[in-house]
Amino acid sequence: MKSTHRGRRSRSAAVVTVVSMTLLAACSSGGNAGGGGDGEIRMMVNLTDNLNQAYWEKLVKPFEDKTGLKVKIEGPSGKSVAESFPQQLAAGTAPDVIQSIFPDDDTAPELLDLSGEKWAAGTPMFDDYAMGNAHYAVGVGEQAQSLVYYNKTAFKKAGISEPPAAWDEFTADLGKLKKAGYTAMQTAGQYQTGLQLQQLDHPTLNIAHPKWQTAVKDKKLSVGDAYEPMFRKYADWIKAGYVAKSDVGLDPSQADGNFIAGKVGFYPNGSWFTSTVDKAGNLPFEVGVFSPPTDSAGSHPGPQGATMADPYMVLKGAKHEDDAKELVRYLVTDATAIATQLEADGVFRQGSTAKHSAVGTQVQSILDDAPSLVAVGEGMGNTRLPVTGFNPKFTEVAQSLYTGATPEQAAKSIDQWVDENR
Amino acid sequence: MTRKNVSRIGAWRSAGVRAGMVAPAVLIYAALLVVPVGYAFYYSFTDYNGFPNRVPEFIGLDNYRTMFESHDITGTMVVTAIVAAVGAVAVNLAALGLALLLQKTNRFNTFGRVVMFYPHVLSALVVGFLWQAILGPQGVINTLLEKAGTSSLPFLSDPDGALWSMILVIVWSLFGVQLVLYLAGLQAVPQDLIEAARIDGAGRWGTFRAVTWPSLASTVTVAVITSCISLLKTYDVVVSLTGGGPAGSTKTLAYSILAVSFPQRKIGVASAQAVLLIVAAAIMAITVLVLRRRAENDAESIG
Repeated sequence: MKSTHRGRRSRSAAVVTVVSMTLLAACSSGGNAGGGGDGEIRMMVNLTDNLNQAYWEKLVKPFEDKTGLKVKIEGPSGKSVAESFPQQLAAGTAPDVIQSIFPDDDTAPELLDLSGEKWAAGTPMFDDYAMGNAHYAVGVGEQAQSLVYYNKTAFKKAGISEPPAAWDEFTADLGKLKKAGYTAMQTAGQYQTGLQLQQLDHPTLNIAHPKWQTAVKDKKLSVGDAYEPMFRKYADWIKAGYVAKSDVGLDPSQADGNFIAGKVGFYPNGSWFTSTVDKAGNLPFEVGVFSPPTDSAGSHPGPQGATMADPYMVLKGAKHEDDAKELVRYLVTDATAIATQLEADGVFRQGSTAKHSAVGTQVQSILDDAPSLVAVGEGMGNTRLPVTGFNPKFTEVAQSLYTGATPEQAAKSIDQWVDENR
Repeated sequence: MTRKNVSRIGAWRSAGVRAGMVAPAVLIYAALLVVPVGYAFYYSFTDYNGFPNRVPEFIGLDNYRTMFESHDITGTMVVTAIVAAVGAVAVNLAALGLALLLQKTNRFNTFGRVVMFYPHVLSALVVGFLWQAILGPQGVINTLLEKAGTSSLPFLSDPDGALWSMILVIVWSLFGVQLVLYLAGLQAVPQDLIEAARIDGAGRWGTFRAVTWPSLASTVTVAVITSCISLLKTYDVVVSLTGGGPAGSTKTLAYSILAVSFPQRKIGVASAQAVLLIVAAAIMAITVLVLRRRAENDAESIG
C-alpha cells in the first residue's frame, strides 16, 4: 500500500517535472515611446570598435551645446539595431532616433515621413530609399558594395599588368595568381559567401537586368535566372581550384586576415573593408581596388551596388519628435558632423573632397566614376524583392555551390524559396 | 465562541497563510512561463508581425501548414531530430562512463570532475568560437595536418562533417551536468548490494548490469530528458560555430525560430515552430517516462 502511494506521488512529481521542463523549453515572443528625461533625445546606434560610445557623444556634442538639448546615446539591447528596434517598438520603448537601419513595410508606419523637409531632399540616396512617395531615411553618404581589393605585389609576380575589366580577363588572372602561389580569390563562410557572390555580380546583373528586384516582383524575371550566370562562374572557379572549397567553413575575419597577410590575389568586399586595411598599418604589399568586371570591357565600370551610409530615421509620435528631427538634420547637413562621419568608418560620399587614405582615395574615385548606384540584395525603397530574409537564404544557396550543387540546382533552389515566401 | 468555530477560523487562517506563501511563486511562474507559452500558442494561429500597430489576424492552421510545406523548416526538423537523438545518446554514454571512472573520491578524481564540468561553465557562444578556432579550415588541427604534409579535414566545410562536428561540440559542452547527475546517482547505489553481488561471484560487468544500472534508473530518466530538452533547443553553438552552414546543413529548429522567422517578423510561423518544439519535448519526455515505468512494472512482475 505504502509503495503504491509512493509510486503515485513519484509519478505525479515526474509529470510536474516534465511539464515544467517542457514549458521551460518553450520559446516565447516578446504604443510608441521615445524620450528619456526632460528634453533628452534618445538615439539608438550600432556600437562598434570604431564607432563607440565616446565617438557618438563627441559627434552630438556641438548639437547639444548649440541647442541646450541632451542626447542619450543607446546601444542596441540585442545583437544589433535591426534586431532591437522592432522589439522595442513592440514593447513601447523605442528610441526617438534610430541609426544604421532602413525602413520596411512593417516599420514604415511607425516612422516620421521626412518628405516635406527641404534640408532632407539633398542628402545622399534620399530618393533611392523612398517607399511610395514617403521618405523615412536620410543619410550621410554611400557604402560602395561592389569592390574587389587586390594585392599589387601579387599582380606583379603573376605578370598581370592591370586590373581586369571583363570576366574572361578576370578568370585568366585567377589562373595566373594561382600559378604564382597565391590564393587566387579569397572567399569566406557565414554571411560572407552570399555577400561576396552578389558583390561581384552587381555591375553585370544590373547591366543585364536594371532594377532586377522590381522585375522579380513583377514576375518578369526569376532570381535563379538573374544569378545563374554568376553561379556558373563560381562553380567553374571552385572546380579549377581558384576558390578553395574549404572557404565555406572559414570565419570572415580569418579571410580578412589572409588578405592583410599578403597571401591573396583578389578579395571581393565592400567599402567598409578600407578601414580594416588602413588600421592594419604598413603592409608588405600595396593594396589596389577596382570595380568588378562586366561581360565586356567596353561596359566597365558597371553600375555600383550601394547602400545609404549612416542612415537615420525618426520615430513618429516620439515624445521629442521635433527635437529628434533637428538632431537628424544636424547629423546629415552640418559640415563638421558630415566630415566626422565620413572619416570615421570607411564611409564615402559621391563628389566629396574629404581626405582619405590611399586605398580610400581609390574607393572614392570608383564611387565618383560609377555610372549609377544600384540596389543590392533584397533591395531598397521602391526597388525591392517581394520577399524578406533574402540574404541569409542566398548565402545558403551560394554555399551549396561549394558543397557540390550544380549552378542549375542552385538557381532552382533560390527560385523555390522565393516562390514559397513570396 | 464554541471550540468548533475557533478551530474552523484557525483552519481558514492556516489555509490563508499557506495560500499567501504559495501565491507569489504561482504568480511568477504563471507570468514568466504559462502566459508566454499561452501567447505562443495563440500567435501560432495568427498572421502577426509583432508590432503594436497591427492586430494579430486569426488564420487557423495556416502557419502549421506553411511550416510543414517549407523545405527549409522541415530540413531544420530533421537536423534537430538527429542532434537530439545522437547527442542524447552520446552525452549520456560519455557522462555515465566518466562518472563510473571518477566515482571514487580521491584528489585525482576531484580534479578530473572539475575539468570535466568546466565546459558547461563556458558560454555556449564562447564554446562555438573556441571550437571554430580548433576545427575551422585554418584551425589548430588543420594547420597541424598541413604542417605534417597531409591534406586538411573538412570539419566545418562539408555538410556532413559540419553536422557531426557540431554534435561533438554540443556533447562536449553539455555532458558536465549529466556527469554530476550520474555521480550523485552512483553515490546512492547501496554498497551492501554491490558487496553481496561480488560475494556471489559477479564480475564488474555483472555487478553493473544487475545492481548499478537498475539503481540508476531514475537518474538515467532525468539525465536523458534534460539532455534531450537541451539538445532540442540547440541555438548558440550553431550561431558561433557554423552559422547554420555550410548550405544550411546545421540549421536547427531553434536556430530557424530565432535567426530566421523572428527577424523576418513572421511571429505566427515562429510561434508555430516553438509550439512544435514544446510538443516534441513533451512527447520525448513522456515516452521516456512511460518506457521507464513499463520496465519497472516488468521488473516488479518478474520479482
